[in-house]
Amino acid sequence: MSDFLLALLTQFGLYGLIALSLALVFGTSRFMNLAVGDFVVLGAYAAVALSALPFWLGLPLAMIILAPLFYVLDRGLLSRISDPMAGMLVTWGIGIVIRQVLEVVFTSTGRSVDAPLGGSVNLLGVEYPVYRIVIALIAIVLVGAVIAYVYGSRAGLRLRAVAENPSMAAFFGARPGRTRALAFTAGGVLVVAAGYLYSPVLGVSPAMGFSLLVPGFVAVLMTRAGSFIAPVIAVVFVVAAQVLLRQIVTDAVAETLFYVVVLTAVVIRANPHIRRFITWIATRPRSFAPRA
Amino acid sequence: MDRNTPALFRSSRMRRTRTGIAVALAVSAATVLSGCSGGSFGATTAESDDAGLSIGFIVPATGPVSSIGLAMQAGFELGVEKVNAEGGVGGADIVFDAQDDGGDPASTTLIARRFAQDPAVDLLFGTVAGDAAAAVAPIADESEIPFATAVYGDPSVCSVNWWPFGASNRQLLQLQVANLIAQYGPRIAFVGSDYNFPHDVAVAATEIIAANGGELVAEEYSPLGTTDFSATISRLAGSEPDAVLSYVVGSDAVTFAQQGQQFGLLTDEMGLEGAALDADYYPAVADLVDGRQHVTRWADGLEDDDSAAFVAAYRAKTDTTGPVPETAAIAYYAIQFIAAAANSADATTREGLSAALADFSYDSPLGEGTHFESTGASNLFQADMFTYAIADGAYTEAAANGLVDDQGVSCR
Repeated sequence: MSDFLLALLTQFGLYGLIALSLALVFGTSRFMNLAVGDFVVLGAYAAVALSALPFWLGLPLAMIILAPLFYVLDRGLLSRISDPMAGMLVTWGIGIVIRQVLEVVFTSTGRSVDAPLGGSVNLLGVEYPVYRIVIALIAIVLVGAVIAYVYGSRAGLRLRAVAENPSMAAFFGARPGRTRALAFTAGGVLVVAAGYLYSPVLGVSPAMGFSLLVPGFVAVLMTRAGSFIAPVIAVVFVVAAQVLLRQIVTDAVAETLFYVVVLTAVVIRANPHIRRFITWIATRPRSFAPRA
Repeated sequence: MDRNTPALFRSSRMRRTRTGIAVALAVSAATVLSGCSGGSFGATTAESDDAGLSIGFIVPATGPVSSIGLAMQAGFELGVEKVNAEGGVGGADIVFDAQDDGGDPASTTLIARRFAQDPAVDLLFGTVAGDAAAAVAPIADESEIPFATAVYGDPSVCSVNWWPFGASNRQLLQLQVANLIAQYGPRIAFVGSDYNFPHDVAVAATEIIAANGGELVAEEYSPLGTTDFSATISRLAGSEPDAVLSYVVGSDAVTFAQQGQQFGLLTDEMGLEGAALDADYYPAVADLVDGRQHVTRWADGLEDDDSAAFVAAYRAKTDTTGPVPETAAIAYYAIQFIAAAANSADATTREGLSAALADFSYDSPLGEGTHFESTGASNLFQADMFTYAIADGAYTEAAANGLVDDQGVSCR
């Protein structure tokens, strides 16, 4: 049980950031960013490239350096596309370009990044690497901070308005195009942070991005477009299923069973009655009247 | 105008949708076509006459195994240059056409079929991943064209036209397992990536561990692309092994090594052998493998003048300083073997080459009298195996073990 909880914590840190990134883009632009895994890889290679610097200094530096790239990608390419399927295809193409460029620059040989913190700590009766705990907590704080910002600030209100109804939001002074570009940039920067933080526990290679996409993708698929909390909650369950299966059966069998579970969940979610129920739960008016 | 534009602007929106789809397809198609597969590059045109040798060279120059593919190509090109400088084959230069398959068996099939249908092409050479090589084998059989590979591991498909110059599973494992048991103890845990090659290795390892008085205490596989090995590592640690035999490959080898160290499984006291110790991964796993011994066919510390000259030429060609991948050297010596066999039998046709390769014996740094033996359904390359000591980026020859007398090959 302790193993399960600690593995869940670590994996949620990574996939929580990815799911939130996907939700920001899907919520505001209505297409899945299939390059999200490759953005994670960009973060991991930033850690490789900045390895001469102190690790913790490189993290904000990587986020700052790569942020303009995401903004330009949205304003220069994605904002010109209105069809969600085309948008998704373009992000797929962007992912391929990123992989090819990384292969040319760094070759396809796996790289490693030294963890800035070594050793292990006894948690819940299990010896667990300290660095894994630290990065999971940082990732969770990042996820929490972004959600608090989205639901507690005026900029977050604009973001949610654009996600719900961009035309109406535009009537009230929001600038949907700019909001989408900022959401895409924020999503990119979040997963760059994920890639950078998790690079010391992953083998860094240009092709590693695709395997990182699935849990976040499924989480967003199972929730309502425009919701930013639900995908994060959903990814907890997706990752829990993945971790639990790997603890019960071998990795190879777990991988197969995981896709069966995910497919079942997506089919159930696609049922119109269940979809309406989830939408009703998510959008029903709250009563704040005091109890009699 | 933004996405989700009201219906009033539908015609404009439709135009933008079409533009978007066009942009998407253009970006994706341009990238795939320009970078991924099927491209011809850096090669001499394969236009052979009867006197020379024309080779269809299939290389994953892009994609997940491109680092090994490019190393193989560099070694192959150096080998061709050397053969041509010494007079070529039948008095003419070897010519080759290099095609990038991106490591994708579908592309490999198309390229191999095109080469096989070209009567000018006398021999196929290359591929890295087992599934790509397995895609070529039936085409080689159908067209009766010899097909040479330079990576280690048993052929996954039985074919008398497949000439694998890399070590077979049992040639690798005989000494790897014996050394692990002698140095660390009898309890061996096996871990591999979840595809044919590691599964075949495990079958051979199980027999060899038992034959050496050891015990296989765990057998674990992880899908390619696994990011979290914690459950696998926990199960491996739970089996209390004395040593780990790892055939986790690609970037997963680095991930497994890192996490194995972080979870306290792969310590200095724990034995470790297998693919993780290959020179290909050294830059990423130096901390883990320094101080260990690795049994394989070739490494850049082989004490031989010709091998040292190859290492210098390879480093000059690729502008690298790290350990030289074994695949590069195997490709280098393989093309020399093939050229010498062709010259010896005065053969440059497909049929003639196959007969020449079967009957030929060749001295090289890989051993005196290296030769192929037929196992009935496939060919086994008999060459020496060496033990190398790994330290500070150098794979130094620690022992020359001679031929490994094990002819089991697990092709299907």
